[in-house]
Amino acid sequence: MKIAAHDSAKPRRSRAVESMILFTVGRQLFLIAAEAVQEIRSTDGLASAAFEIEVPELPKVTHFFERRNRAWFIVSACAHFRLPVTRPMLVLILRQARAALLVDHIVRMVEIPAVHSLPRAFSGDERRWYRGLAYLEDQVIPVLEPTGVLTRGEVARLDSHAATLVAAGDILGGAQS
Amino acid sequence: MSSLSVNAASGSFVLLQVGNRRFALSAANVAELAPPVRLHAFPHESALVIGVIVRRGRIVPVYDVAPILIGRPSGTHRFYLIASRFFDGVPEPSAIPLHGECELANGEVAPAGPGSPSYVSGNLSVADQQIPVLDLEALVTNSAATGARDAAFWSKS
Repeated sequence: MKIAAHDSAKPRRSRAVESMILFTVGRQLFLIAAEAVQEIRSTDGLASAAFEIEVPELPKVTHFFERRNRAWFIVSACAHFRLPVTRPMLVLILRQARAALLVDHIVRMVEIPAVHSLPRAFSGDERRWYRGLAYLEDQVIPVLEPTGVLTRGEVARLDSHAATLVAAGDILGGAQS
Repeated sequence: MSSLSVNAASGSFVLLQVGNRRFALSAANVAELAPPVRLHAFPHESALVIGVIVRRGRIVPVYDVAPILIGRPSGTHRFYLIASRFFDGVPEPSAIPLHGECELANGEVAPAGPGSPSYVSGNLSVADQQIPVLDLEALVTNSAATGARDAAFWSKS
């Protein structure tokens, strides 16, 4: 029985390239479309504007902040992806979801020619987490799905908790949806 | 069918080695035998899937079935067997790490014995040996709990 020769990977589809942000959470690399990110802040810069929130069934969310009179929820990427806890330095404030993701480090901007569908073998929460997979410099890297960071139901639950905190006077301002 | 050039006619089987045990898989499901290229891992929640490899420009999920078949992870392996799983009738290449050479075989398939795991569809008679024929779909959808029980079955047989 012969073994097929080793072949180099190549994009299967030619499409317009997409600008993406390559970032790390612990030792894991991720990509997110640049247009899905509204702003990148340091955790230090956001600390003074963030309020603590504790929802037992959503331990990945520990803080929220107000923007345009709405609550934006800060999500630990470590907890979201069930990775070992790290010390995040940056917050990616997302555009398509009222969520901000705590990440460790931005590596650089990259141009991605194709996002491959997540194989159907992946059947768990990762189908919500990822838009697909990209091939970059001999590595397969998951591409984050921004709307998968928090579901609508989770946002509604968090809004309710945030509104309760505001009503109880536990925080200043009027964070609510 | 590519460089492996497996005969996909019914009754043809690929004999494969996982750990120190031999199993058979219908040749009709097998596409090729690939070298142990780099495994790419990332966070996910799917049982048995340990990552992906890139093969012929496609991203191929890798299933470590060794915990079910031999009761421990596959560890160092020599090849990937690339076989097809079907999702809504659409084939998806799937890789299984193997520890030894594969060979083609033809032979009579007897029904699986009582108590055999659900993913054993029969026993192939080859040179006075009875080799379990694997049902790939049943194997990779096997639960971890069932896997532990089945590993115990193999250790006794």
